[in-house]
Amino acid sequence: MAQTHEHGAHADHGPQGILKYIWSTDHKIIAMQYLFTGMFMAMVGGFMAYVFRMQLAFPGTSVPLYGVVSPAEYNALITNHGSIMIFWVAMPVLIAAFGNFCIPLMIGADDMVFPRINRLSYQVFLLSVLVVLASLFVPGGGFGGAWTSYPPLSANSAYNLTRLGASMWLTAVALEFVAFLLGGINFITTLMNSRAPGMKAYDIPMTPWMIVIASIVFMLSVGPLIAGAIMLLFDQNLGTGFFDPNRGGDPILWQHLFWFFGHPEVYVVLFPAIGMVIDIIATFARKKLFGYKIILYTAVATAVLSFFVWAHHQFIAGIDPRMANIFTVTTLLISVPIAEMLFVSIATLYGGSIHLTTPMLWALAFIGEFLIGGVTGIFLGASGADVYLHDTYFVLAHFHYTFFPIAIIGTFAAFTYWFPKMFGKMMDDRLGKIHFWGTVIPFNVIFIPLFVLGLGGQHRRIYNFQNFPELQHMQPLRILATGALIVMLFFQIFFFWNVIKSWISGPKAPKNPWKANTLEWTADSPPPHGNWPPDQLPKVYRGPYEYGHPDAPEGMDYWPQNLPPQNQPARG
Amino acid sequence: MQKPIATTRSATGIPTGRLAVWWVLASEVVIFGGLLASYVMHRLGHPEWANAAAGTNTWIGAFNTFVLLSSSFTAVLAHQAAEHGDGKQAARYLFMTIGGAATFILVKSAEWTHEIREGFTITANGFWSFYYTAAGLHAMHVIAGAIVMAFVARDAARGRELQRVELIGIYWHFVDVVWIFLFPLLYIAK
Amino acid sequence: MSEQHHHPNYKKIYITLVILLAISVAGPHLGIVWLTLITAFGIALVKANLVVQNFMHLRWEKRIMKWMLATSLILMFLFFAGVSPDVMHHTGHQWVNQAALAATARGIEPLHEAEVAEAAAAEAPAATTETAAAPAQQAFDAKGQFQTVCATCHGTTGEGNGPGAAALDPKPANFTDPAFWKDKTDDVLIKAIREGGASVGKSPLMPAWGALYDQAKAEALLAYIKTLKKG
Repeated sequence: MAQTHEHGAHADHGPQGILKYIWSTDHKIIAMQYLFTGMFMAMVGGFMAYVFRMQLAFPGTSVPLYGVVSPAEYNALITNHGSIMIFWVAMPVLIAAFGNFCIPLMIGADDMVFPRINRLSYQVFLLSVLVVLASLFVPGGGFGGAWTSYPPLSANSAYNLTRLGASMWLTAVALEFVAFLLGGINFITTLMNSRAPGMKAYDIPMTPWMIVIASIVFMLSVGPLIAGAIMLLFDQNLGTGFFDPNRGGDPILWQHLFWFFGHPEVYVVLFPAIGMVIDIIATFARKKLFGYKIILYTAVATAVLSFFVWAHHQFIAGIDPRMANIFTVTTLLISVPIAEMLFVSIATLYGGSIHLTTPMLWALAFIGEFLIGGVTGIFLGASGADVYLHDTYFVLAHFHYTFFPIAIIGTFAAFTYWFPKMFGKMMDDRLGKIHFWGTVIPFNVIFIPLFVLGLGGQHRRIYNFQNFPELQHMQPLRILATGALIVMLFFQIFFFWNVIKSWISGPKAPKNPWKANTLEWTADSPPPHGNWPPDQLPKVYRGPYEYGHPDAPEGMDYWPQNLPPQNQPARG
Repeated sequence: MQKPIATTRSATGIPTGRLAVWWVLASEVVIFGGLLASYVMHRLGHPEWANAAAGTNTWIGAFNTFVLLSSSFTAVLAHQAAEHGDGKQAARYLFMTIGGAATFILVKSAEWTHEIREGFTITANGFWSFYYTAAGLHAMHVIAGAIVMAFVARDAARGRELQRVELIGIYWHFVDVVWIFLFPLLYIAK
Repeated sequence: MSEQHHHPNYKKIYITLVILLAISVAGPHLGIVWLTLITAFGIALVKANLVVQNFMHLRWEKRIMKWMLATSLILMFLFFAGVSPDVMHHTGHQWVNQAALAATARGIEPLHEAEVAEAAAAEAPAATTETAAAPAQQAFDAKGQFQTVCATCHGTTGEGNGPGAAALDPKPANFTDPAFWKDKTDDVLIKAIREGGASVGKSPLMPAWGALYDQAKAEALLAYIKTLKKG
């Protein structure tokens, strides 16, 4: 049998030089690959937002750094903005990057269980990035049929006019799904099997738990859509009629296939964000998480319920009204467990010793902003109100008040929190706070007007509202939103400056700058290949949130998971 | 590449490789499930597809079902051999399974060629669209599985990584199970 | 590994599987629809279960994996349950999917005509040897068209009790009732067929079939429908 050489000597086994960063199977490097790719795509998606918001604020004028926006280009911009932000920013950063980095470290493992499949998942993901970016430059232009890609528009190139772009977009999405299926299996298996000795299920911190729950939800919901994507690709390229009513097909089938995935998908991105926010809040409130089991069980309940609400995206599509009734009830129900998770976070803060570091500011902003997003969802979940609100800017504002906290605020919270561990340097807290306020305040100034616009009857996916005389009086709000976006984009400069400055010349980070309990803070900053010396992988003696515990060692308001209990020998 | 310590741990008691294969199967269940559910909905709503469905050849379908069942049999015998540490015998059984896969694909190619010549193309009507899509997706899984199985068999013949014989077997049985449902759906329920 | 003692008799299971396969192939030849469904799908379930429990050893696997696989299956049923009301049916309370019904009409050729004729003869009223203007079998099969297009709502015997009728209000016309024919001219009826119910002051749920049936075909159709009248 061949597996006789020791498990030590990891340092000899990694690739060297530049290859180390391209061909590595180390989970931390793969995490960086996902992180930087995702952040790059965020810039692409953000640029697209800038362009189409300029078009909306100053219709027909030439947008600086872009030019005049044609209607077809507008459609391509909004379609790809949405798709990129969800599939190529939120998912790779929140799940793949932080999942890859944090899960092995937080459960005391030396890597993921399948490092080569991990590498493969990034390679497939990178391919999907290249395909979707290429789709913007092919003859005909990028796909403009909205991220929901409803047929017959998306199936028939005579309608969408982007024959190549449409198929490439769909192929890119399918490849991204495959990448995340590969990655997800890795995460789930690693969490289930590779925990440190002594780490029971309820000793796992929220971040790995939530990322794995998200991976499971993703995996179980994406199947029908993969089938649907194959059918749509065939409709686009082979002339089949899966979604063509004249040929016995049904476009409503696509809607169901899409949203059966599409709704659980939003929870797929929510869970990691809220998990990381919870970990950050516990650390900087110096207080035990108010209800670990409550959060865990409500997260599972939310995950289960999320499969029962999908048709609320189709209330006015002509679905069976009896189904609409059922889905209204389930949709309103799902707000309960999510609110529960927010309440537990707030209860954790109560009575805590709050340290308003930059990560904590982001985490608190998440709670407040997501709350607004959540309550506005209630209006949309009631099918009666939705008849008016569907496809208006109210919907758009609602989902930006949920997605932005998830994908942007959550990311910045996690990034500023784990930066010391990832890069071995401390970030500048003052620059961090400037960046924080310069992002969060303009964010609200962008999207609150959009609620007003939506209630006023402004519909989505229209490139020039000057064609609607009855909406003209609201033009100042559009300009306000665009202006706020530009301010917000400007303040991102502080973030990049902070990252580069800190990475090059920031103060060296200790192992545990935040005095947190979880296992990643016991490794070096940054951790070497293998995370800990092979014979010193941590063992766990308690849960992850023992802050302010009376039995903790003298003078410590925290109690790391891996410290053996005093008066007892270390576990053998 | 050195296996990480993480891969050898097993907090659940299920070996890591097997745990992962079960998760792969779960994801495949929803993919095929979505496709087949869509097919069933359309088929039940379009009684006239019975005309098109009459064009499938039940005997060929039955023969292919027999081939896959037999290949599942040899796959599980390979597992048994691997359990007893006999890598060479396991490899032999795995190659038989691959032979079954090859037979299946050959028969299907001939079947499709014949059907296409008769005018039953993928665009002929809704039934045929689903027929080729579902059977085609399945066939892709057969081919991919056979390729992976060849690598596992090669390793097993050298006495290495014998636990993977069971894993590729589990995947293979799943491919068989999908066909067990495709056969009546596409060939019998006319 | 712990399953060393968990090897069932694989050969026996294999032979069982092959026998079940043979039965499922033989099933349709008996010609009884419900029996075919049982042999085809019931046996598929049994075979799948045998393979999953014994070849894949799920029987001896830890419970968590059984739960997980069951969950993925249940989700598929949930998907079917949620989507089929929209995709499977072509009529509802307030709508008729005309494109689908028309596709159905185009799709069925008179291949099954023999079976349809038997069924119609068994239920339809005997007599009326004066099947006036018997539909020209080659040119236009009015009876076949009625059975495939109209019968969905009007029923195979024209009593207004087809499968689609359950969801309709008012109910589709009952052609067997002499009262229906009392005050209606051929022109009005042909207009209803070709231009829809609303065009003659009747329910708009009766679609316009003019695209499928020109004047001559509509007349042939009407002639057939008249044969359904009782008494």
